Amino acid sequence: MSYMFEHNGAPGKGYSQPAPIYPTEKLNIPQGLVRKNLPKWPRLSEPEMVRHFTWMSTRNFGIDTGFYPLGSCTMKHNPRINEVIAQLPGIADIHPLQPEHQIQGLLAIFHEMQEMLGVCAGMDAVTLQPVAGAQGEFTAIRCFQEYFKLRGEHQRTKVIVPDSAHGTNPASATMAGFEIIEIPSQSDGRIDIEALRAVVGEDTAAMMITNPNTLGVFEPDITEAAEIVHQVGGQMYYDGANFNAILGRTSPGLMGFDAVHYNLHKTFSQPHGGGGPGSGPIGVKSHLAEFLPGPVVRRRPVLSGDKLTNANHDWWFHWYEPVNSIGKVQQWHGNSGAVIRSWAFYRRYGNGLKTMSEHAVLNANYLRHRIFELAKEKGVDHLFCDGAPTDVVKHEFTLSLAALKKERGVGAMDIAKGLLDRGYMAPTVYFPLIVPECMMIEPTETESKEVLDDFAECFVDILNEDPEVLVNAPITTPVRRVDEVYAARNLCLSHPFED
Amino acid sequence: MLEAMGLSSIDDLFADVPESVRLQGDLPLRGPQSEEEIISDARMLLGSNVALGERVNFLGAGLNRNYVPASVFQMINRGEFLTAYTPYQPEVSQGILQAMWEFQTLICQLVGLEVSNLSLYDGSTAAAEAITCAVRVNNRKASQKNTVYISQLVPPDRLSVIQNYSQGADITIKLLSHNLDGTLNLESLSEAAGSCGIYIEQPNPLGILDSGLTGIKEVIGPNTAFIVGVAPTSLGLVEAPGNYGADIVVGEGQALGSPITYGGPLYGIFSCTKAYLRQMPGRLAGRSVDVDGKEAFCLTLSTREQHIRRHRATSNICTNQTLIALMGAMHMSLLGPEGLQLLAQRNMAACQMAKDKLGQIPTIGIPHLSFCHYNEFVVELPGFAADCLDYLDSQGLVGGFDLSQWYPERKNWILVSFSDQTQAAEIELLAAHLAVWSTSKKPELNA
Repeated sequence: MSYMFEHNGAPGKGYSQPAPIYPTEKLNIPQGLVRKNLPKWPRLSEPEMVRHFTWMSTRNFGIDTGFYPLGSCTMKHNPRINEVIAQLPGIADIHPLQPEHQIQGLLAIFHEMQEMLGVCAGMDAVTLQPVAGAQGEFTAIRCFQEYFKLRGEHQRTKVIVPDSAHGTNPASATMAGFEIIEIPSQSDGRIDIEALRAVVGEDTAAMMITNPNTLGVFEPDITEAAEIVHQVGGQMYYDGANFNAILGRTSPGLMGFDAVHYNLHKTFSQPHGGGGPGSGPIGVKSHLAEFLPGPVVRRRPVLSGDKLTNANHDWWFHWYEPVNSIGKVQQWHGNSGAVIRSWAFYRRYGNGLKTMSEHAVLNANYLRHRIFELAKEKGVDHLFCDGAPTDVVKHEFTLSLAALKKERGVGAMDIAKGLLDRGYMAPTVYFPLIVPECMMIEPTETESKEVLDDFAECFVDILNEDPEVLVNAPITTPVRRVDEVYAARNLCLSHPFED
Repeated sequence: MLEAMGLSSIDDLFADVPESVRLQGDLPLRGPQSEEEIISDARMLLGSNVALGERVNFLGAGLNRNYVPASVFQMINRGEFLTAYTPYQPEVSQGILQAMWEFQTLICQLVGLEVSNLSLYDGSTAAAEAITCAVRVNNRKASQKNTVYISQLVPPDRLSVIQNYSQGADITIKLLSHNLDGTLNLESLSEAAGSCGIYIEQPNPLGILDSGLTGIKEVIGPNTAFIVGVAPTSLGLVEAPGNYGADIVVGEGQALGSPITYGGPLYGIFSCTKAYLRQMPGRLAGRSVDVDGKEAFCLTLSTREQHIRRHRATSNICTNQTLIALMGAMHMSLLGPEGLQLLAQRNMAACQMAKDKLGQIPTIGIPHLSFCHYNEFVVELPGFAADCLDYLDSQGLVGGFDLSQWYPERKNWILVSFSDQTQAAEIELLAAHLAVWSTSKKPELNA
């Protein structure tokens, strides 16, 4: 174990700074405001910092380390061109208060992204401002809210979510001030249309749903669900977490949704960064466009007097404030750096984006098929079953390890830890809650057949592993199973300095 | 692969998508490009922007162009950090977990409080989340239920974020007024007694360090949250709010570790006392042990969060700004305490020099001259701010910020900002241009 706080070298050795440009005696900080004790920060030299963080990085698993089949998270390869472009001074060194004529190239990219995202989801207007998927959800729900307010429909206080929804859905709608109605899914994870019909009414503001659902199953009744909600005057919200499954094959717009968020850090390869930053633009149908957080980018033909650059021969790009905007959800223009990275990703595919989703779905189905096939060969297919029995899945699938748990006493978490020992990231476990001992697997399109074959083999091996080994797994990782209860009962949220 | 599954076409995998919602053909988008073409287009488009480094510039308003050491940019590209998800499997995520635990420590030390989360989206959402958190904690005892007072100087865009976040919890936002000299009006403050919290920024949005804030906690009492928004580098010289009674400290972390990147990704600082811990938003890394009793890290108190708590969560935040916070941790560890102090001195010295130089120009004014400023101050002009900025632009300077965009009645105020990157010669240049422009103006506006 090595802590940053063990390094206390000579002051100022981390990196050299020039002297202040003006005598510090002239700084007249009021007596009562002068800081008495400096923070107890360590002092790392550059080699110490580089080694400390390199050492920590070796204790971390990323997509670069190995296969990362984390369901619902779309852990695809992050092309490095993204990083190169995002470091260019034309984005990294731009201030959000610079005038439009200094940032025509940036606005051109934003405009292209707004248009592209709109086309992909079948939406009429897009804002790039929300900085994460959850914030996108919140933003869209706020737009619904203002839409209803303007129409005088104040009685719409309820948002319907299926019990298989991502936790952010109910959390976002609650934050906006709505009451949550949770409806049960059918046993195969699909929407229970009758249950939906039973809860809608004139108090319905919206339904939030992802399709394919969190079991990776496409909702065949989606248009019927949309009709039911629309009939009572509600809005349909598409959680874009699973957009990687359907891009170019169908669209939320076609399915009847009114608003959608995009996770640029899932579908469009912005790196997840150990937990962020992400980017969660939203797209809406035309009746909601006037409520989007502002400003959004628009363009007009160039006029004489416009300052032209390489970026705007024909068009002048400018900010536009939607007339009934809900206001802002981030102070500036969102995670622009993530938008730029995603633009680079988009340009690689262009109108071929459909193949991205096709390969993602192909990989998921192949892996699912391979696991079942091998399990049968090795006689362990009775130990698990499909989370949702269906001919084909979309970008991900779920397995229930309830039988394994019953027969051998090892559950989804034990299998997950066993996979860690074999050099894989574990799939998502225990979500969605409607599948007992659930394991949710999403391979993404960027994995090769060889990787999927190896994983399937390994997975089936582990099912057959000595339960004793699995409950004690992992043993090859930097630490073994971490005691989360101890962490919560003996809170230690920062380094305890000895005075 | 299709063959192995007994399928003949990729279409078979989409057979479950009802006919009526199928898209036909390719999307109406441009064709694909090679990596080389993309880089070339990126250089062309982004290269047409005016990067701040190419111009003498005085834009700030909360985002300052501070130097970030080269090693930070190199280290952040470690794929094990860059391409990892949230550390839900702690056994293979010790790196990011420990780094975030160290980040939390650095922030606690910086602001003088006991608890810090591992980042929110930016300074504005951190302020907004602090306000809703204060209501959750204090509403029961408050005589002014669901009410929070915030400084009237808070810029409209930040205020808008706060309103969006707080309206769902039925929170009433009332304004605290400031005196003409820019300091907080203490009489106005007395109205906030019995409310759930107050939110004030130090330095305030006009760059003023207000020494009156140190006595505020005694005035508002224990059951009203004292929330302070900080410029983090200033805390190398200025007292940490935790040491003068702040319950929650928030701020825009960008100046420590991150480029401006057109305003995102940045990272929001959120730090609080233990009294607010159970109601705080965002993720927390905690130190624990593994089954062998070895020290180990994991996410903790997750029962506050959406993936467990769903609609009863303290916030909907899931993805945050971990990687940018990681850059912050790297930068802070290299600075050390004395480096932070020097960085603060450099920022403040540039600002002070500019005040002294611009203060000598008789045709412009500095309304808050006698106060202590950090990073920025207001210049009052004998004409429209927009005209002045156009003139400076024509001379190749990114001049500053037209404050009428925040405060519509202030048509002749600009906010000029200085950082550790500001050179003495640049200040001289600004002074020279302002002198030329302002002497050419007949006073169009009343001061």
